[in-house]
Amino acid sequence: MFATLPFASIVVLAGSAAAPAENQSPTDDAWGNLRIQYYGERELTIADSAAFTLEAPSNTPDPTATALTVRFGGADIGHIRQLRVFIDNNPSPVASTFDFAEGARVAEIGMRVRVDRWTSIRAIAETTDGQLQMHSTWVNAAGGCSAAPSPAAGGALGEIRFHNTPDGRSLQIAIRHPNNSGFQIDPLSGNPIPPHYVSHIRFSSNGHAIMDVDAGISLSENPTLRIASDSALPAPLSVEVTDSHDAHFNANWHGAVSAGETISDAAVTPR
Amino acid sequence: MRGPRLALALWLLGAAANSAAIAAPFQIQQVAAGVFVHLGQPLDLEAPGHDDIANIGFIVGSRCVAVIDTGGSVRVGRALLAAIRQRTRTPICYVINTHVHVDHVLGNAAFTASHASFIGHAALPEAIARNRLYFLQHYPEDLDAPATAQQIIAPDRRVQDGLDLDLGGRRLQLRAWPVAHTDCDLTVLDESTRTLFTGDLLFRERLPAVDGDVSGWLNVIDELARMSVKRAIPGHGPPTTDLESALVPERRYLRALLDGVRSAIDMGQSLPEAIDGVAAAEKSQWLLWDSTHPRNVTRVYQQLEWK
Repeated sequence: MFATLPFASIVVLAGSAAAPAENQSPTDDAWGNLRIQYYGERELTIADSAAFTLEAPSNTPDPTATALTVRFGGADIGHIRQLRVFIDNNPSPVASTFDFAEGARVAEIGMRVRVDRWTSIRAIAETTDGQLQMHSTWVNAAGGCSAAPSPAAGGALGEIRFHNTPDGRSLQIAIRHPNNSGFQIDPLSGNPIPPHYVSHIRFSSNGHAIMDVDAGISLSENPTLRIASDSALPAPLSVEVTDSHDAHFNANWHGAVSAGETISDAAVTPR
Repeated sequence: MRGPRLALALWLLGAAANSAAIAAPFQIQQVAAGVFVHLGQPLDLEAPGHDDIANIGFIVGSRCVAVIDTGGSVRVGRALLAAIRQRTRTPICYVINTHVHVDHVLGNAAFTASHASFIGHAALPEAIARNRLYFLQHYPEDLDAPATAQQIIAPDRRVQDGLDLDLGGRRLQLRAWPVAHTDCDLTVLDESTRTLFTGDLLFRERLPAVDGDVSGWLNVIDELARMSVKRAIPGHGPPTTDLESALVPERRYLRALLDGVRSAIDMGQSLPEAIDGVAAAEKSQWLLWDSTHPRNVTRVYQQLEWK
């Protein structure tokens, strides 16, 4: 279930976005190329909003940590093969690609992203019968990819925290990681900070992958993902994280033991 | 932003604002003998005039004048300087910054010719260093053209815990606080009139913006409430003669924010759910809720999910 597309767009597009113009209208230029690159000539329909939605703030409270929520409803639950989230005008427009195991009853995906400037954000879902559906929205922001790391950052690299709803249907994982975009400058030294980001996250249960996520520099510092279902998530759930330095971190979630309580092993194993 | 994020989160929209015109004339009031204050406007961060939103002022002794914050542009700093010069020829010995935010420090450059000593919290020089590039890129119109990094002045004198300044016939007590509104909050107490400049440790009417640590801020509020002062000049909002009461709404909001976000995380709520639900009962009590509260929740949520 690993995504087959390499995370290559960062290299391809980095040069063109080195000096993003502020307050420019979101344009479709980037999208035209991305659409061809990722979906070729395949038909892409605007999704029925009752079944599939994308929520994002029109003016983000924090360009470095803008919350995006994708929801699936009705017949879509259990019938989504892949979800890809694009931030058209980011230097690396593919924020994440989620590949779901057959029958995975995913009702919601949440993430926190960097938004570099006014842009369209798109969620494109591929159903198990091969249909492509899209939802898009505009987000106004500036500087989310180049903002300096927070001085409060740090902690143990790769530490993983779980927070779940009491019913065990929704789980948020947070990964201690700078997720440096490669577009940041160390404000004290003036030196560029090289990219260092979470590249892959696998969720599995009893040895079977449930969801594979190809991620990248558009995820916020200390990346978080939220997954929700219409029934209790399988437990124990294993999370394996790989970063761009090929370090590996993993942890296990043991389910909703009681209201709000989570037990995690947080077995951090950088190699 | 923690320094950089402060700038980001707090002042992002200001970057798009038109070059701000100062409402003429520049209003100054004497709130106590020798204590002068200019009240900033309760404007949104993207509104014209965003460089004149903070309360700033000065205190006149027999030998020295001390300036407390310089406004959000060199233009505002210069207006403050002119207001001082209309009232006294006493030298300006000290320019004190209560913290790193643009609306309090960007006017510093107006005072370089005064040969004043710039004074701030021990953490302020690094906070300014962290933000200098951001300020330069996002507020060039609030500096003199051409905007340069040299116009963003950091303190040459740092306050670790406390510092007393003798202005001649009156003494100021400067106090550096633990992380609260920011990581570099400093208050100034004029002993003779018991007037306290709180910086942004006290917001009135305008919703408090969290750029430091809410728990720390609540602790500082408790200490401020115990201080014996006759009047307090908040960083934003009207001066008060009853500091303890003036701190009540701020404490109530910050407590609701902290408890609400903590509970949201414990219950597995997402960040958007927390933005919508946390402290919602406070909304009608404050100005600029829609632009400030979501940032506060976002920041506190990101901190608490690691606690």
